Amino acid sequence: MNFCHLQHKAQVPGGVRWTSSCRPAPLLTASPVRALIDDKISIRGHFLPPRCPVTVCAQMQSDDGDLWEAFAHFNTNSDGTVNLTRDPSVGGSYLGCEPMGLLWGLQPAPGAREGLRQGHVSPSERPSTELAAVTAERWYMAPGVRRIEIRQNGVVGTLFLPPGPGPFPAMLDMWGMGGGLVEYRSALFASRGYASFSLAYIGHKDLPGPQNRINVGDPYFNSAFQLLQDHPQVYPDRIGIIGLSFGVYLTLRLASHSGIKPSCLICINGPAGSTIKLTDADGKTEQMENDQKYWTYDDQGNVSFRAVSLPANLSPESKVKLEHLTCPLMYIVGEDDLSASSIENANLIEETLSAAGKSQLFTRLSYPGAGHLIEPPYTPNSRASLWSVKPQKLVTLWGGHLAPHAAAQEDSWKKILEYMETNLRH
Amino acid sequence: MSMKPLCVKLSVQPSRGLVDEKFTVLVQNLLPGFQLTVHALHQCEDGHSWEAFAHYTADATGTVNVSQDPSLDGTYSGVEPMGLLWSLRPVPGSKSGLRMRKKNVQTPMVVTISVYQGHQMEGFLDRVLLASVVVERWYMAPGVRRVPITDGKLTATLFLPSGPGPFPGLLDLWGNGGKLVEYRAALLASHGIASMALDYLTPQITKETGKIVDNDYFETAYRVLEQHPQILGSRIAMLGLSFGTSVTLRMAVYSQVVKLSCAVCISGSHVQPIGGSVEEILSYFNKNADKTRFDENNQVIWRDLLLPIPTDPSLKVDMGRLQCPLMLVVGEDDQNWPSYECAMDMKEMMERAGNSHLLTVLSYKNAGHLIEPPFMPFARASTFRTVTNPPTKVMALWGGELVAHSRAQEDAWRKMLVFLRENLYGSMKHSASFSNL
Repeated sequence: MNFCHLQHKAQVPGGVRWTSSCRPAPLLTASPVRALIDDKISIRGHFLPPRCPVTVCAQMQSDDGDLWEAFAHFNTNSDGTVNLTRDPSVGGSYLGCEPMGLLWGLQPAPGAREGLRQGHVSPSERPSTELAAVTAERWYMAPGVRRIEIRQNGVVGTLFLPPGPGPFPAMLDMWGMGGGLVEYRSALFASRGYASFSLAYIGHKDLPGPQNRINVGDPYFNSAFQLLQDHPQVYPDRIGIIGLSFGVYLTLRLASHSGIKPSCLICINGPAGSTIKLTDADGKTEQMENDQKYWTYDDQGNVSFRAVSLPANLSPESKVKLEHLTCPLMYIVGEDDLSASSIENANLIEETLSAAGKSQLFTRLSYPGAGHLIEPPYTPNSRASLWSVKPQKLVTLWGGHLAPHAAAQEDSWKKILEYMETNLRH
Repeated sequence: MSMKPLCVKLSVQPSRGLVDEKFTVLVQNLLPGFQLTVHALHQCEDGHSWEAFAHYTADATGTVNVSQDPSLDGTYSGVEPMGLLWSLRPVPGSKSGLRMRKKNVQTPMVVTISVYQGHQMEGFLDRVLLASVVVERWYMAPGVRRVPITDGKLTATLFLPSGPGPFPGLLDLWGNGGKLVEYRAALLASHGIASMALDYLTPQITKETGKIVDNDYFETAYRVLEQHPQILGSRIAMLGLSFGTSVTLRMAVYSQVVKLSCAVCISGSHVQPIGGSVEEILSYFNKNADKTRFDENNQVIWRDLLLPIPTDPSLKVDMGRLQCPLMLVVGEDDQNWPSYECAMDMKEMMERAGNSHLLTVLSYKNAGHLIEPPFMPFARASTFRTVTNPPTKVMALWGGELVAHSRAQEDAWRKMLVFLRENLYGSMKHSASFSNL
């Protein structure tokens, strides 16, 4: 699906019926009505009764068919308007003036699939009187962006190219151990003018099996980088690498190889070495579940993987030779990350680079209250989610609290794009 | 150490917009003083290519911002944020007399915006292309529903805004060209007004019976709106352009069925035989066909057919009997209808009758006949096929000058939306004065 439909509705609480004999329903507007996921939108209500309570809700159906909702209570002002860019929410999914609160505050609706309900703020009533609605579209891809499935030289991924002749600066984009292929960050980079390649490395049907371990090594990641360099529409000397979670280790490992010269690295909440035992010198690994000694559990039986990536617990032969890095590196920390020891790894990288006389390469962004999954902004996030169903149902903790995590996503995304601009375009 | 080549960045925000939304075109990472051409290309539904272009010079920061920087030359000059759209014209070698009108409103108008090195005037396909992006322009907002209407033997399309309603309603009429033209109604629905585009000169019923419709056709259309479960029957407006104005004024003043909250009449006239059928109005115009003139390019000027404005009250809608707010929009260079003269006559009639507080006149110097939603290409003349039997094809002169007409469209549309919103959404008041214009 290329975009999601977001329905914004205005409702009055309690069962006040809108008597339709003399006035039309109030007017709810959103601008722009078609935007990229990382664009802000401005939601307003007009022709409402003055100084009156009103609830504005957002509803979104995800690709998997789950319904997400957010709501905020306002009091209209004396001219009968409500403006989410100007007015504070006095209750609901968020508080205070948050123009994008209805988006980042989206939570699975009651009755949604189990396993998605973790971290749900409060049950939403279904007020019987919906006054007005407006539909907005949130797109991952700008018009003209091309999505190309790559299955070449054994490399598995999806390449997004901006419209136009190119050549373009590029990004290699890697996510965590959840596996598969997460495309939307690359799609957004391409919408902002960068060729971007989402690379699969675990848990994908087109990769060598079995799916629960990493069966590709250094040659695979080198090939992926080479593929970008060789692409006729990519500037071979303007390629960056971005990694989240386990993707950070892969980013650092790839960049520390001679012959690979990225222009910059962006690392989000991940380790400087492998959290899973390697099976060979090329970096292939065992199954993640093989070694659970550092897994910790809360009272509900939810698992935190945090301690697994403490520098002392990383498999020593996998620790990346950070002193070999030659390009700028930005490390992004969610201080409430319950899935990775981000602060400790950031410190390790900073210290190692400093000892090698390369401290000018290192930049850190740190966000209190933010969790593990620092993703593009205005997307819903959860404090926990279903990790596996076999052999038993396991819910993993990501950490992070709603409002600070949303703020971290907004700020870090802006800084990521600026960092890319500086290092890949100038 | 070798200099990396410049990595030019072109962005248009928003990349998907409604046709009446402005955009910002930004070119960055240029060398200061760099000369470039920004180019727009669109292929319309009929397959014709349209282009616009402008010459810019990058500032000291290596940036060109089309919303703030002056175009030095091209299809427009000076600071014109939306010039790349309203100055679109058929590419060299195209057929003459083209006019751009979107038929399928469910798909966007796609425009390619590109940046070329240097100040180019032509032959763009052979030049060095630095960057290119794609922009979509939509008539329909997400969630707007398109509903074909055939009840009551109507040929119409209703556009309903997103949401439960009830919405104010609007009957949207075009002119003598006939056909079912949907795009303005779709755009109005995107602004919260349930709008029905009505084909009244070439509807199915006329094709079958050979008869031109009459008042009851319009009253049926009004009733469909009034009785629609999601439309507020007490808040219905009419919008007419050209001959659509003739119908709108007649309904507004004389119909026992049609009760309008307000009306907007663009480029039209109140001159018509009172009490006659729609067909008789058309004949009345044809009677004066000998007053047709031709300009130096053999383009047809029809404005004299209604001049001089009659003094005989049976030949003009009695504007003194109008009871709802009315906005008249006229171009002073209208070569197709004498809309300015008629507006002045209507104003005088209403002043004498004491109801001129209902009237707002928007009059634009150097604007022509076809005052349409903003940022669409301008045609001073275009081929026009009459709906007479047999039809004739002529090159009609609409009038207007590119820049003035484009400004008029932008200004008029904005004011029309405010007028419609105030009268359809606001509290009931019989006043045409509104301060935020």
